[in-house]
Amino acid sequence: MQAMKQFITTDEKLRQLVHALSKNAWNIISAGKEGTNFIYINDGKDLVINADSKPTKLSAKEFFFPKTEPLFFYKKNHDGVDLLDPKDVLRKTVLFGVKPCDAAAVPVMGKVFNWDYKDEFFNRRVEQTVIIGMACSYSDVYCFCTSTGLSPESSKGSDVFLKPAQNSSYIAEAVTPKGEAFVVEFSSFFDAANENDVKLLLNSPKGPEKKFDANQVKQWLDGHFEDPLWNEVGETCLGCAQCAFTCPTCHCFDIVDESCGYNCGRRVKNWDGCQFGLFTKHASGHNPRGHQPERYRQRISHKFKYYQDKFGEILCTGCGRCTRGCPVGIDIAEIAQEINKRNSVLV
Amino acid sequence: MNFINDDIFMAEEKFEPKITCFVCNWCTYTGADLAGTSRLKQQTNARLIRVPCTGRIDPVFIIKAFESGADGVLVSGCHPADCHYNTGNYHARRRWIFFRELLKQVGIPESRLHFSWVSASEGKKWVDVVNGVIDTVRKEGPFEDYHKVNTEFAFPEPEEAVCS
Amino acid sequence: MQELIQAAQAALTSKEAAFIIGYALTPDGKKTRPFIARTPDEAAKLVFNHTCAHNLAVYLTRIAKPKEGKMGIVAKGCDTRAIVALIQENKITRDQVYIIGVNCSGVTADVTLPFGADNLPSKCIMCQVQVPPVSDVLVGTAAPYDKPKDAVTERMQLLEAMNEHERFAFWASEFEKCIKCYACRQTCPMCYCEQCIVDKTVPRWIESSASLRGNFSWNMIRAFHLAGRCIGCGECERACPMDIPLMLLNRKMGMVAMQQFNYRHGVNPEEPTLVGSYNMQDNNEFFK
Repeated sequence: MQAMKQFITTDEKLRQLVHALSKNAWNIISAGKEGTNFIYINDGKDLVINADSKPTKLSAKEFFFPKTEPLFFYKKNHDGVDLLDPKDVLRKTVLFGVKPCDAAAVPVMGKVFNWDYKDEFFNRRVEQTVIIGMACSYSDVYCFCTSTGLSPESSKGSDVFLKPAQNSSYIAEAVTPKGEAFVVEFSSFFDAANENDVKLLLNSPKGPEKKFDANQVKQWLDGHFEDPLWNEVGETCLGCAQCAFTCPTCHCFDIVDESCGYNCGRRVKNWDGCQFGLFTKHASGHNPRGHQPERYRQRISHKFKYYQDKFGEILCTGCGRCTRGCPVGIDIAEIAQEINKRNSVLV
Repeated sequence: MNFINDDIFMAEEKFEPKITCFVCNWCTYTGADLAGTSRLKQQTNARLIRVPCTGRIDPVFIIKAFESGADGVLVSGCHPADCHYNTGNYHARRRWIFFRELLKQVGIPESRLHFSWVSASEGKKWVDVVNGVIDTVRKEGPFEDYHKVNTEFAFPEPEEAVCS
Repeated sequence: MQELIQAAQAALTSKEAAFIIGYALTPDGKKTRPFIARTPDEAAKLVFNHTCAHNLAVYLTRIAKPKEGKMGIVAKGCDTRAIVALIQENKITRDQVYIIGVNCSGVTADVTLPFGADNLPSKCIMCQVQVPPVSDVLVGTAAPYDKPKDAVTERMQLLEAMNEHERFAFWASEFEKCIKCYACRQTCPMCYCEQCIVDKTVPRWIESSASLRGNFSWNMIRAFHLAGRCIGCGECERACPMDIPLMLLNRKMGMVAMQQFNYRHGVNPEEPTLVGSYNMQDNNEFFK
């Protein structure tokens, strides 16, 4: 295996890079000044490169799988219907300073969007985006990336990965060919790193302590579709979709038609969440997941079992957003811990 | 046939407001009908939607009217104590007291939403009310704040179709 | 919190209550969350402290009513307003609920930070009901706490000072953030419709897209459906992952109810609801 190509860059150079990118009509996205959300920027001084920042409220998934995305527009005419595709987004995009838990979600989601049917909407957004990931030194009681096979320095999903070094410089690794091409294209902002540069790297962030073993969770889930646990954890869930919508890997959507006049409209893809009662309700009125505990079981099982059965990965990157925002304090890591506990009792 | 220069044509076109009127079947609609049969003249910007009673008007109808491009809305029904269903307009009135304040809080000015009581015999009053509302809204100009909210729904011209 | 546990255990043992909706500590012991105790043993887990911000009355319309016994609920003073409001709206009757009132010394806005004057939600700053006005049994003690200036009131004044275009632009920037997760609706004790208007598809009154247009109509109608009904617990705003200041709309509706009708919802269980009733002398000035 070829060694990862390493480069060195500085805070100042990255800001200049933003300037160069914006001149070349790239879309540039970075966490906003308050660090609460990703925003579009076009000035180097707005760039936020901060390894200590708290994860943004919404994950970066909205740039690949937007909360609402038109699939086509339609208009009735004399002999039928005119269909019109939304115009392709041609602007190239760079996402700056994405945390490992957000970046890792992109290839995970990519599996479901390319399984039998290739979702061109998702794919073309991924294709045109360069993800510049960054090592993360933030961790709070909600974080659990280390339990999902990631780490604060995991470069999974990133095209270029930054690690902070001394003197506000960064060691940049070109992780994918796309990332390498990007670094080559903007080579004036990245210098090849030598051994001495690599010595400047700051100590690796410790990250949250490991809370559970995801494989054991799956083992338990394999045999416990019916279990009193589901009622215990799901009974107080109020059935909003805060957890699903802020999750970097949740990818369920609903397709609806919306009119823009009496003879025209658009078909859109909107986020949907499995905790909604309507999510599985049939036209007949029957609802296979009629109660909240059943819906909560679906959430846990999809994350740790079904996705792994089908795609060999767990559908969770441990960002902790679902728990951080849950209005009734349901904690997914704690449930996984509880499952671990029950599993070890069985063994 | 393109001998009219579009730009000049557009520049000379005066703004004509679109007014959606929600009127009750028993009083105002009949009053508006009387105005017609009496050959009274009124401006033609109003589109009437007949409902059984003002009590039937869900505020979501009014929001839908703005969403569909209305520049102003007029709600009209039977005078207090005249309701065909006895109390429909009293219930409606209480609702509008809240709804008006809510719209103001959101930034939809009072000049966009009007209320009146017009009975079946008040054809003349109907004409005056409608003309008054149309003039007020015309003076305010197009409701651009809300039109902006609607833009992403407009059927895109092929070169304009966006997907941001 | 021995007093609370004893009261809950007594109600469960005597079968007066079929279950008690209360708060329990999370395993880390730092926070609390809603918990439903069905046996006296489970009731031993009940606690009450500064992190009990949730309004549990929401569960009264979410959980199936028991065949025998009452629905027990641990309620702060502010939460009892929601219970009374549900009684006023005929969703429940007084004899279906067993209220364990807790004297409250304020709750935190952010559970990860210590309780204090700079970590108070608006409802605690405005609080006048540290002692629950309605209850079957009353436990705990209410300690006074420092109340800073209310941020919601200040933001209301800022909004009031804007002209309509500025106000519209303000709300457009706020509503744009909405992701339609409906956490505001699900956590609201007064949002109990079997089918929410936003979920109706024929006709589709409110677009389910999280586009600006759909967000405008959703947030306006949500606030309107709570006009004269909102009991000011602020759960919608607390639950909102995007921090949309929903209370600026709810508070305004409450002010209209107070100023024009001298009415507060959820105070008197006998009183008819405001929008469900009418008065011939209501304001008629805005009608032409």
